[in-house]
Amino acid sequence: MAEEESEWILESIVGYLGSPEWVIPVSDFMENKCTVFDDEDENKLSYTDIHLQYKKLVETLLGNYMQEVGINEQQFLDACTSPFAKTKTLQSVFQPVLATDDFQMFRSLMVQKNTELQLQALSVIKEMNGALPECLTDGVDVMTELQDQEMKILQEVLKKSKDEYDKEMSRRLLLEHKVGSSSDKRLAESSKAQNTSSAASQPSGAAKLTSRPVTTDERQTLARAGGERKSAAKSSSTSKPSPDCGSNGVESRVLPAVRPPVKSGDPPLSAGSREQSSSLTPPEGWLEEAHREAGFSKPYTELSASQQEQLQQRAAYLRQQRDKLHALKKEQQKPKQTIVPEEAPAVVTPEISAEEKKKLQKRKHLADKLKEEVIKK
Amino acid sequence: MGEAQRGLLSVIEKLKGSTEQEVRIVLLGLDNAGKTTLLKSLASEDVSTITPTQGFNIKSVASHGMKLNVWDIGGQRKIRPFWKKYLENTDLLIYVIDSADKKRFEETGLELSELIDEENLKGVPVLIFANKQDLATSSPASEVAEGLNLHTYRDREWQIQACSAVSGEGVQDGMNWICNNIVNKKK
Repeated sequence: MAEEESEWILESIVGYLGSPEWVIPVSDFMENKCTVFDDEDENKLSYTDIHLQYKKLVETLLGNYMQEVGINEQQFLDACTSPFAKTKTLQSVFQPVLATDDFQMFRSLMVQKNTELQLQALSVIKEMNGALPECLTDGVDVMTELQDQEMKILQEVLKKSKDEYDKEMSRRLLLEHKVGSSSDKRLAESSKAQNTSSAASQPSGAAKLTSRPVTTDERQTLARAGGERKSAAKSSSTSKPSPDCGSNGVESRVLPAVRPPVKSGDPPLSAGSREQSSSLTPPEGWLEEAHREAGFSKPYTELSASQQEQLQQRAAYLRQQRDKLHALKKEQQKPKQTIVPEEAPAVVTPEISAEEKKKLQKRKHLADKLKEEVIKK
Repeated sequence: MGEAQRGLLSVIEKLKGSTEQEVRIVLLGLDNAGKTTLLKSLASEDVSTITPTQGFNIKSVASHGMKLNVWDIGGQRKIRPFWKKYLENTDLLIYVIDSADKKRFEETGLELSELIDEENLKGVPVLIFANKQDLATSSPASEVAEGLNLHTYRDREWQIQACSAVSGEGVQDGMNWICNNIVNKKK
């Protein structure tokens, strides 16, 4: 008699646990709350609250059901502990009920649900896009994307600088006779500036342009400024006058990433003649441009120390590239101009007049001050 | 039994129908006392890579024919208010003390006395582990007991056990006390 009763009660319970009245609220709850459950060894404190909420939900649901069907707790217990309930299939049906009392079981159910949802999301993305984006596939490093992007930018920049160089060379042919001595001065100045710069590395003329040291920091800087660079790169090839802006106040303020030595090496500011400085600008203009892009991408004052350092590293790198271009240029100039010095500070320094030295000092001082001001803000 | 207010949930508890006797143990103590190290040492796991617990850990250990479910909850000050949530239905409290941290004996004693007053821990036996005995600067168990005023706890069974969770020394002695005590208590 009692056994028969247990049997129909058990059947009824199992029926209920498969019905929408039970399944929908329980799976809704799990789907809503499972996202915080990960497979870490350590449990988050929030799991406990969720488990508590789950207990309440199950208690309410089962309580309502039992009231509806008219069975009491003892009957429920008897039914569920009867031999019929011990089969494997029924045990899995009871799992969500048992999870109220067993945190570990609850946790594993939630982790499982979370994984299921993630897999579902992945398959939806795959269906919609045809393939998974690289960032969601296993084993593909985000860095490779950045590297690709960086290589593209680098190639573009190199191409641009070569174009500019070619243009400059054709212009130079026209201006050739004027260039002589004043070009000396300019070069002297710029190399002096490099000597004072702590970050400036000595130019290695023989090194190929493409063999640049790639650092992670640089890559990040590039990636950050990357979006703007592409558009800016186009404009910079046409906008020659931009370097001249370096001397006006507003512009310098957004240029704090450019270190003083770089500024003092700026050709437009040099004592050299104007028309010829414009013919010399391309590499420098490009350098300035790059700095400005990086500077513009975020106000300098908002950058963290590490980002500032990144900018400075970038500046150092750009200087290096410029130096390489210089070296290249000079080599080609050699047959025409016999008196061009070979980037040797020892030879060059004595040629700087006292007046120019003063000017340099003044400019450096100004730049330092500007930098200081901007950083303080 | 007789927990009418727990109602259905206590019914579900019985549904599990495991033959083993299950014991719920909560493992508490200040941060850096060595709770997680003790837990892992109980479960015979590697204790070399333990970081401060932000949430809680659970391990089930079979001992003396019982299944001990040990809950180790983080001891940082900001987590301590959450301890209360884990005390319900607790059969035994393990309280871990860094015996080398004399400066905080008072603080840890205060936390313990607050726990003792919790309704959910009424009459629950307490095992105090005077941990880190492997350190030269550690105080002996008797001194720790004095620092905590353990002699004032008269409403329950308690025991203080010197141990080193890192070396495992003394841990088993503590567990033996637990099992003997629980067996007596649950019958």
